[in-house]
Amino acid sequence: MKKILALVLAVAMLLSVAAAGAETVTTLPRNKTLYHGGWQYGSIAAWNPLHSNSNNSMAISANPRGSRTLVWETAYMYNALDGKLYGLLAEDGYEWNEDMTQLTFGVKAAAKWNDGTAVTADDVVATWEAWKKLDGYNGTYAGYAPYIANIEAADGKVVISLVTNDEGKPVNPLLVYDYLSGTYILQKAWLDSMFEKHGGDAKAVAEDTCSEKDVPYSGPYTFYFDNDQLTVLVRDDNYWGQDESMWGKLPVAKYQAHTIYSGNDASLVAFKEGQIDVNQQFVSNIQDLWEKDGLAISTYMDEAPYGVCATMPTAWFNMEVPVLQVKEVRKAIAMAVDYDTIIANAMTNQSPSFADVPRSVMNPTDGEQALLDHDAIQPYQWDATDDLDTRIEKAKALLDEAGIVDTDGDGYREYNGEKVSLKSCCPNGWTDWQAAMEVVAAAGEKIGLDITTNYPEWDIYQTVFTAASQTEYDIFMWSPAGAAPSSPWARVRGLMSSEYIGLNSNWSGNFGHWSNERADEIIAAIPLAATEEEQKALYTEATILYLDEVPSFSLMYRPESFYAVNETVWTNFVSQDLNAELAAEGKPQIPPLDLIDGYGIAGQYYIELVE
Amino acid sequence: MSKGYRKYFKKKIFWFIITFIVAVMLNFFLPRMMPGDPVNAILSKTLGNTTDAAAIQKQYEVYQQAFGLDKSLPEQFLIFCKNAIRGDFGLSFSQYPRSVSDIISSSIGWTLALQIPAIIVGWILGNVLGAVAAYRRKIWDKVVMPVSLFFSAVPAFGAAVVLLVIFGITLKWAPVNGAYDPGMIPNFSWEFISSVIRHYQLPFFSIVLISIGGQAVGMRSMSIYELNADYVKYSRFLGIKDKKIVRYVFRNAMLPQVTGLAMSIGSSVGGALVAETIFSYPGLGSTMYKAITASDYPLISATTLIITVMVLIASFLLDIIYAFIDPRVKAAQFD
Amino acid sequence: MKNILKSCLHSPRFMTGFILFIILLGIALFYPLFHPGNPLQMIGQNSFVEPGTYLSLYDANTVNLNGKTSTFIMDDAAVNRADSNISEADRQTMLAYLAAAGVDVSHLDTSHENLDSLVTLWQENYDSSKKVEGYTTSAKKRDLRTLNSRLLAALNAGEQTLLTKNGDEEVRTAVANNAYVRSNQVANVINLPLGTDNFGRDMMKELAAAIGTSLIIGLIAGTIATILGLVIGLLSGYLGGIVDDILMFVCNVFTVIPGFVLLILIYYSVGQEARGVTTCAIVIGITSWVWTARSVRSQVISLRNRDHVNLSKLSGHSLVRIIVTDILPYIASYVVMAFILQVSSGILAEAQLSLLGLGPKTTTTPTLGLMMNWAMLYNAHTQGYWWAYFPVIAVIALTSFSLNLMNTGLDQVFNPTLRD
Repeated sequence: MKKILALVLAVAMLLSVAAAGAETVTTLPRNKTLYHGGWQYGSIAAWNPLHSNSNNSMAISANPRGSRTLVWETAYMYNALDGKLYGLLAEDGYEWNEDMTQLTFGVKAAAKWNDGTAVTADDVVATWEAWKKLDGYNGTYAGYAPYIANIEAADGKVVISLVTNDEGKPVNPLLVYDYLSGTYILQKAWLDSMFEKHGGDAKAVAEDTCSEKDVPYSGPYTFYFDNDQLTVLVRDDNYWGQDESMWGKLPVAKYQAHTIYSGNDASLVAFKEGQIDVNQQFVSNIQDLWEKDGLAISTYMDEAPYGVCATMPTAWFNMEVPVLQVKEVRKAIAMAVDYDTIIANAMTNQSPSFADVPRSVMNPTDGEQALLDHDAIQPYQWDATDDLDTRIEKAKALLDEAGIVDTDGDGYREYNGEKVSLKSCCPNGWTDWQAAMEVVAAAGEKIGLDITTNYPEWDIYQTVFTAASQTEYDIFMWSPAGAAPSSPWARVRGLMSSEYIGLNSNWSGNFGHWSNERADEIIAAIPLAATEEEQKALYTEATILYLDEVPSFSLMYRPESFYAVNETVWTNFVSQDLNAELAAEGKPQIPPLDLIDGYGIAGQYYIELVE
Repeated sequence: MSKGYRKYFKKKIFWFIITFIVAVMLNFFLPRMMPGDPVNAILSKTLGNTTDAAAIQKQYEVYQQAFGLDKSLPEQFLIFCKNAIRGDFGLSFSQYPRSVSDIISSSIGWTLALQIPAIIVGWILGNVLGAVAAYRRKIWDKVVMPVSLFFSAVPAFGAAVVLLVIFGITLKWAPVNGAYDPGMIPNFSWEFISSVIRHYQLPFFSIVLISIGGQAVGMRSMSIYELNADYVKYSRFLGIKDKKIVRYVFRNAMLPQVTGLAMSIGSSVGGALVAETIFSYPGLGSTMYKAITASDYPLISATTLIITVMVLIASFLLDIIYAFIDPRVKAAQFD
Repeated sequence: MKNILKSCLHSPRFMTGFILFIILLGIALFYPLFHPGNPLQMIGQNSFVEPGTYLSLYDANTVNLNGKTSTFIMDDAAVNRADSNISEADRQTMLAYLAAAGVDVSHLDTSHENLDSLVTLWQENYDSSKKVEGYTTSAKKRDLRTLNSRLLAALNAGEQTLLTKNGDEEVRTAVANNAYVRSNQVANVINLPLGTDNFGRDMMKELAAAIGTSLIIGLIAGTIATILGLVIGLLSGYLGGIVDDILMFVCNVFTVIPGFVLLILIYYSVGQEARGVTTCAIVIGITSWVWTARSVRSQVISLRNRDHVNLSKLSGHSLVRIIVTDILPYIASYVVMAFILQVSSGILAEAQLSLLGLGPKTTTTPTLGLMMNWAMLYNAHTQGYWWAYFPVIAVIALTSFSLNLMNTGLDQVFNPTLRD
C-alpha cells in the first residue's frame, strides 16, 4: 500500500511540475517582496500598453481616478485626497492660456526611458497620435476627441489645444485633467516600430500581446515573471525617479508580486496568513481580523468606516415605467429605505452613515463636500434628521397625496387601477448589493408598494441595464463615477445628463434615462464656471434638483478600492497616522489606494521592514 | 485476438464515437442558449467616457467579430468543430484576450495530477476496507460499515470545507490554497517539490475521503454476496484452505467494482471539481467555477468538453481492461 | 407486506436511519410552528451574530428602573468582572509592552492578585506617542490604544447610573453591581441557537425551513428520476430490439457525460429567470435516472422469460397488465431502494449546484445549498463563523446518511444473504 501511495505521489508531482513548466528561478525573498491582493484573478494575457483590453492589472491600468504607474507612467498623478494633480513625467504645475483653450506643461528633464533615452514632448504627442490611429479598437480617442482638439510639441513643451464652442470657449477643460492623469505616455520610437511591424494595421497593433514583454517603460518596475499563479514585477535600479526632482530615491520593495487566487475566500485566507501585504478586497466585519483573530492587520483608519469612501452605489429608477415617472413614488421609496441596515449589513459599517455625511451628489471626501452650500440643501436631505419611522409616515403621506392609494384592500397601492409591482435588481453573487436590494424591497412592503428582488446573472444584468432602452428592471443598482480630476462634475453628469439616453452599451451614466433640461444646462455650465462661488452655486442647485426629483438615490458610500494591510513583514503603510506625520512636514497626504494607484504610489517610498 | 473480442471492441468504439459527437453538440449548444451579451461586458473596460454612438458601435463590431458572434449558430458550430480539432476553442470572455486553450492547458495538468491518484487511492482503500468488513464481519463491520456510509453521505464540498477549517486554518498542518507557496516560481528543486506536496495533501485527502465510503459499501455487499455463493460453500465442504477461497472470492467481487470505477469516474468528477474550487487548486474545477461565475461560455464549453472526453477515455480504457480480466464479457457478446 | 414491515422494524440499521430521518423531518415541520415568522427576515443589523440568548438592554434597564431586581452577593463577581473586561490575553499584552518599554515587571504575572499593580504600572507607563521597540506597526499601536481605552472604561465603570427623562426632569437611578434580573423579566429576549447569517437572519429558523425545501427538492428529483428510470428500464428490458437499442444509447450518453457536467450545462442554459426550486429539482431528476433504468432493465431481462410471464403472454394479456402484475412486483423492492438513494443524491446535487452559484434563484425560500453558498461567499469558513456553515453541512450529511442507512437496512430485509 505504501509503495502504491509513494508511486502515486511521485507521478502526481512529476505531472504537476511538468504542467507548471520548468522555469529556473527560485522563491522570491519575502523581505524584498511586496505582495498585493485583489487585483489579478487570471494569468496575464498581454504586455502591450496599447492593448485594447488587457487584463494585466499590475502593469496596465490607466484611468483618471488613479493610474497604475509601476511600469508605464502618466504625465500627472491624481491625488484623491486633496483632488490635486502631481507631476510624474510632467513637471509640477501646468499653465492655461487666458481663455482656457490651451494648456501647456513641460516634461521633467530627468525623465528617462529604461533604454536611457529621455522622455520628451514628442513622446506625449506621438502617444495621442497613436490613440487616434487606434480609434475604434479602443475608446481613448473617442472619449477625449470631443474635448481635446490637438496635442503638439513646442519649445520642448507640450501644448494641448481644446475643442471650443461657437463662443470660443472650451467645451470642457476638466476632461483634459482626466487625460493627463488617466493615460500612459509611451515611447515614440516604440510606437513607430509597432505600427511599422503591423504595416499600419491598427487592429493588429491593438491586439498584439507583446509576448516578448520588452516594451520600453519609464516606471520603477518591469516584468519579471508571470504564470497562472503569480505575477512579479522587479525594480529597475536605474529608475529615473531617484532623481531629486522626483522621489529622490528608489521604491523600497525589490519585487511587486501578486499571487493569483481562485477567489475572494482563498485570497482572504492568504491575507490573514500574511501572504498578502496590501489587500484590495472587501472583508466583511474587517475589525474581527484584529479584535477576534488578533492579527497584525490594519486599515487606513482605526475606526469605522476604516477607509476613504469615494463613490456611492446607487439605486436607479427606470424612467420608462409609468408609475416611476411619478416623482412622489420615487421619492417615497427612497425615503422609506432603512439605510442604516444597508450600511451595517451590506458594508458591515465600512461606510459613513447618511447622518454623518448627508446625501448629495458628492462623495464623503472633504474636497467635494466643500463644494456645497449645506444649509441650502438640508431641507431636501430626507434622512439627515428624520428617523426611519417618521420617514415611512412621510412617504405614505406623499403617496396618499399623489393619489396612489390602496383601493381594493389587498395591502398594496394601485396606480391607474393596477397594483404597483416593481422588481429591484442587481447582479447575482454581488453580495453586498444583494443585501441592499433586499432592504429596498422591504421598504416597499412598509409603504404598501409590492417590490420584489431579482438577481439576474451578471452577463444578463449588464446587457439589460446598459441597453439603449430600459426594459426589464424597475429599480436597479450601479455606481456613478468616483473620484477623478473631473469629479464631482463627472458624477453629476453620470447621475443626471440626458446625453446617455438611447446610447447602446451605455456604461457611463443616467442608466434610468431621466431627463431634465435644467440639469443639462448645469452640467454644461459647471466646467466653465469662472469662480469657485459660481461653481458652488451650480453644484448646490444640481444637488437640490437631484434630491427633489430622485432620478436615483445613493444607498451607501463605498471606497474606490478597498485597502487593508498585514504588517507581518512590512510596516509604515499609508494610514491616517502616516498622513498626519506627512502633513506636519508639509508634504501632501497619500490616498489609501493600495500603494499603486495615482498618487497612492508615493506610499511605496515610505514602507519599512518590521524586523 | 478472437472474433468475440473484435466484435466487442468494434461495438465499444462505435458507441464511443456516437457518444462523443452527442457530447460535443450538447457542450456547444447548451451554454449558448443562455441569454446575455458578453461583448457588452468587455466594452465596459474599453469604452472610457465615450458618448459617441458610432464609436461605440464600431468597437462593438470589432469584438463581435473577434468572438465570431457575427455568424449564425450552426455556422459557429462548424467553425467551433473545425477549430476544436486543432485544439483552438476560441477566446475566453472573462479573461479576454486569453485564449481558452491557453487557460485550459495551464490547468489540466494539475487536475490530472490531483484527481486520478485521489480517485484510484480512494477506490483501492475503499475496496480493501469493504472486503475486510465483509470477511471479518463482527467488529470491523459494525464500525467500518456505518462510518463508510456516513462518509459517503458527506457532500464533497462539506468534507473539503471541514478539512480546510480543521487542518488548514485551526491546526495549520497544511496550506489551504494554491498548488505551491505564493511567491515561488516553478522549478525543479526540492524546495518547490516539497511545497507542491504540502499543498497537495488537503485536496487529495478530501477527495480520497469521500470516495472511500461509497466504494467500501459497494465492495462489502459484493463480497458478502460472493462469500455466500454456492461455490464457496462447496469449496469449504471440500476442505480447501480459507485463504485460497478468500482470494477467489475477492477476485470475483472486484470485477463489478472495476466497472464501478469506470462509472464512478464520471460521477465523482463533479465532487472532486468542487473540492478544487474550495482549495483554490489551479485545476479544471477552479477554471470551470470561474467560467460559470463569469458566464464565460466558450470556457464552460471547453472545460465540460474536456472533462467529458477524459471520462469517456477512462471508461473506454476500463471497458477494455475489463474485457480481458473477465472472460464472461466475451461470452456475453453472444447472449 | 406485513412481514417486510416487521423485519424493517427489526433491522437496527433501518430503524436508526428512519429515526434520524424523522428527527430531521420533525425539525422541518415543527420548528417553524413553535417559532413562526418569515425565516428569511433580516432580524439583525449585524452579520454573523454568535449563537446565544440576547437580552434587550433597554428592557433590562426598565426592570431596574422599576426596582424589580434581585440582589445576590457573590464572592467571585468582582473577579469575573475584571476577567471579562481585562482578559488573560490583555494582561499578557500589557506585561509584554511594559517589559519592552523597559519597566521591571519580573514580580508580576497575569493573576488576579496582581491586576491592580499591573494596571497602575500600565497607567504610569503607557504613552501612545512613545516609540517602543516591537510596537511600531499601525496594528500594534491600534491594539494598544483600544486596550487602553477598554481599560479606562473598565476603571471608570465603578458606578453606573441610568439617566432617564421624565418630561423635563432628569431622573438618575443607580445600577447596583450586585443587582440581577431574571431573563423572564426582560420583555424582549431573542433566542438564537445558531446565531445569524450574513444577512442577519435567524440561522436556526432558516435551517429548519431549508431542510423542508431540500427534502422537497430531493423528493421531486427522486420521484422523477425513479419514474423515468423505471419506465425506460421496463420498456427497454421487456420490449428489447430497436427500442432497447435506442434507449440504451441514451443511457450510455448520460452515463459517460458526467451527470454533474450535464446538470451544469442544462441548468446554465435554462436561464436564471426560470430557475426556481421546482425547476432545479426537475433538472436534477432528469439527469439522474440512468442508474435506475440500467438496473431495472437487467432485472426485467432476467424476468421476461420466466414461466409466469410467458403464461400471461399466451393468455393475451396487455403489455401494461403484464408489466404491472407480472413484473413490477418482483422489482418493487429494488425500486423502493433506488428511490431512497435518488432522494439522497438529489439533495446533494442541489447543494453542489448552489455552491457553484447555479442553485435555485429564489429570495423567498431558503435551501441548504443556498445557505451554504452565502456562507462561502461571505467567507464564513475562513473567518471562523462556524454556525453559518457547519450546521448546514451536518444536516446535508445526516439527511443523506439517514437515507443511506434506511437503504442498507432495506437491502438486508429484501436480500437475506446480506443479513448478519
